Amino acid sequence: MTVQSPPAPTQAPTPTAAPGAAPGRRQRFARVQAALRQTPGQLRGILVVLVVLIIGAGVTGMTAVLAKSAVIEETTTQSGRLSVAALQLYQALSQADATAASSYLTAGGSSQTTRDTYQEAMRDATVALTTASGQVETAADAQLVAELNARLPVYTGLVETARSYNRLGEPIGATYQKQASTLMRTEVLPRADELQHNALDQLSESRSSAQAFPWITAGLAALALVVLVWAQMWLSRKTNRVFNLGLVGATVMLALFSGWLAMAALASATHTERSHEDGAIPLELLAEAHIATQQARAEESLVLIARGEDSAAEERYAAQMETLMGSGGLFDRLEAEYGDDPEISDALTAAAEAASAWSSGHDAVIKLATEGQYTDAVEMAVGEEDDSLTNSFNTLNAQLTEATDVSADRFDQATADARRSLAGAAAGLATLALLALISAAVGIQMRVSEYHA
Amino acid sequence: MMNRPRSRWSAPLALVTGSALLLLAACSGQAGIDPAEVDVPTPLPEGINFEPDISTAEADDSCDPLASYDPGSITAEQAREQLDSDDHISIGISQSTNLMGYRDPVTNQLEGFDIEIAEAIITELLGADAQITWVPMTSREREDAVNNDRVDMVVRTMTMNCGRWENVEFSTEYYSAGQRLLVPKDAGIESAEELTADQTVCTGESSTSPSNIAAVTEAQPVTVPDFNDCLVLLQQGTVDAVSTDETILAGMAIQDPTIEVVGEPFSDEPYGIAFQKGNTDLARYVNGVLADMRSDGRWQDIYDKWLAPRLGDATPPAAKYQD
Repeated sequence: MTVQSPPAPTQAPTPTAAPGAAPGRRQRFARVQAALRQTPGQLRGILVVLVVLIIGAGVTGMTAVLAKSAVIEETTTQSGRLSVAALQLYQALSQADATAASSYLTAGGSSQTTRDTYQEAMRDATVALTTASGQVETAADAQLVAELNARLPVYTGLVETARSYNRLGEPIGATYQKQASTLMRTEVLPRADELQHNALDQLSESRSSAQAFPWITAGLAALALVVLVWAQMWLSRKTNRVFNLGLVGATVMLALFSGWLAMAALASATHTERSHEDGAIPLELLAEAHIATQQARAEESLVLIARGEDSAAEERYAAQMETLMGSGGLFDRLEAEYGDDPEISDALTAAAEAASAWSSGHDAVIKLATEGQYTDAVEMAVGEEDDSLTNSFNTLNAQLTEATDVSADRFDQATADARRSLAGAAAGLATLALLALISAAVGIQMRVSEYHA
Repeated sequence: MMNRPRSRWSAPLALVTGSALLLLAACSGQAGIDPAEVDVPTPLPEGINFEPDISTAEADDSCDPLASYDPGSITAEQAREQLDSDDHISIGISQSTNLMGYRDPVTNQLEGFDIEIAEAIITELLGADAQITWVPMTSREREDAVNNDRVDMVVRTMTMNCGRWENVEFSTEYYSAGQRLLVPKDAGIESAEELTADQTVCTGESSTSPSNIAAVTEAQPVTVPDFNDCLVLLQQGTVDAVSTDETILAGMAIQDPTIEVVGEPFSDEPYGIAFQKGNTDLARYVNGVLADMRSDGRWQDIYDKWLAPRLGDATPPAAKYQD
């Protein structure tokens, strides 16, 4: 490093002395002691201390900032993308299952729209899984991705078998559809869920390290400032000159260094926190709501696919709706946190209304089905009329998507702000530290040279 | 090359290879994750039991399960008084038992042997324009459904036995079923006795089927909550055979041309129509209708339409009365 260029005499004997030789070392120590009793020696001593402190502050400051940007980068790329991919995977799979199950009920008349929805959901799921597999960093996650990959074709195979039998009018299709949903519910979704939680854990670890304040750098910089100020006072007493321009310059550079460091660290921490509070948390809650909605829909269809002879599916439907609408459920938590947020409160209210409309409609459907009006029940559940459950379900989904979009924008915004607050900080801090070092060295070297003149 | 153990290049080559391997090891140690090991996923229905309890319950012969009430001279008028309404009746059925009681996925109409037997009885009881509520239910719900007034009668592949006689009234036997075996046609299995200990037989849970299977074969019974899962498991090769009432097996066989019902029945499953406990008037009237259907060929027509193609010819079971 160029900062070591002003040759400090105290260091000069080092290469010639026999390494490790005790008398040599004692001699050298004595010489240093003698030099430090004289002003030039003392000046060089101060310079050494300053060099160490400023280099320390510069290097740790730069590393801290680089580490922070890397972490922020990571939240938007690596584990960030893993958690997003895992979430998309979970959502897409739930949607695929809900669509496959409800379109089974419409039999030959399954509309092109529902078919498209199923195929798009499967495409989203496989794309998300591919993204996730490129992002995994642990053996456990890699295992999960492999297990998910192995199960998806089995799932789609079952769904298509169910469809074929359904077209042929063979009732066994219903059992295939049920088996597909069982595979999804018991083997696939739990793994997608686990993958997502692993990613979120990694993300929150990264976040807390991104928010940490660089105390070591701050301490070193403060110490260097104290030494600089003390050195100037000491020098002005010794030499009757008020200012040593070099040391004044070093002080200014170091003050700027400290200010920039503090600002960058605090701003990035605030933005990271904001990305979490306004972005990541609502995103997760909304995603959970989405998933519960899709799974409740799948269970509802299964009740009807089993011709009203599957009470377990009805119980699972009730459990999903409880997660969504029960007291302390997802809607309650979203309402408590974001009910007074003008941008998403409307969507949340509309979503809750759609959910309760759906829930009461569902009860009517089950009543119809158990009283023998099966055809009417199916029509009300998966038909396209205004009062059909399809309608409430679609509205609920659309409102949740709207709130999700707002939260996702906020997350992106806050992460971008955090990244911007660190922009150039590493290079800037390094430059300032370097300039402070050169200034201090030049200032002190000029004083020293006066003694030799 | 292989015969020359030390060529001029062997030492440097070994060195280069060695360091390349080391480098590779160092790299893969950091970035690579071992390839995951994944078992072949086998889709299984929830609640499948590969080692069900097959302890045989003491055969309950404290009664004659086939003996119902003599129709005597009871009239449709008297029987109708047992219903809540003059022109409306609720029947407990299955909507998912192919050939017996099921909803056609294409037409959404209820069809099957049980359904047509019930329709014939209702026409006699209430006339052709009766309002019928078909109430789908699981086999476990049947006894409660008649006793809690949810339905007036249950026509749903229900086997009469002394335990059930304690809780409900039954009609005379309207179909004489038995447990048989469903296997792939190319499996070369002719009867349950031919199955070996390392083969598996799927059947519905909470029935006497597992112990009936254990009584005639060494094969391992596997139970599932819904017997329809058995057909899927047979098609997927997870089990080697399915065994349950022949009527249900026929409903499965008709959906897949590569499987067939084989062997002689190895259990007696007399089907009866269930009524609320104490409602003997309705039972008597229905027995009268059943007797007419046996003699005037209506029973035969319904059997020939639904079951004969898969189970062969049969005649109506004789009625048996206890008084």
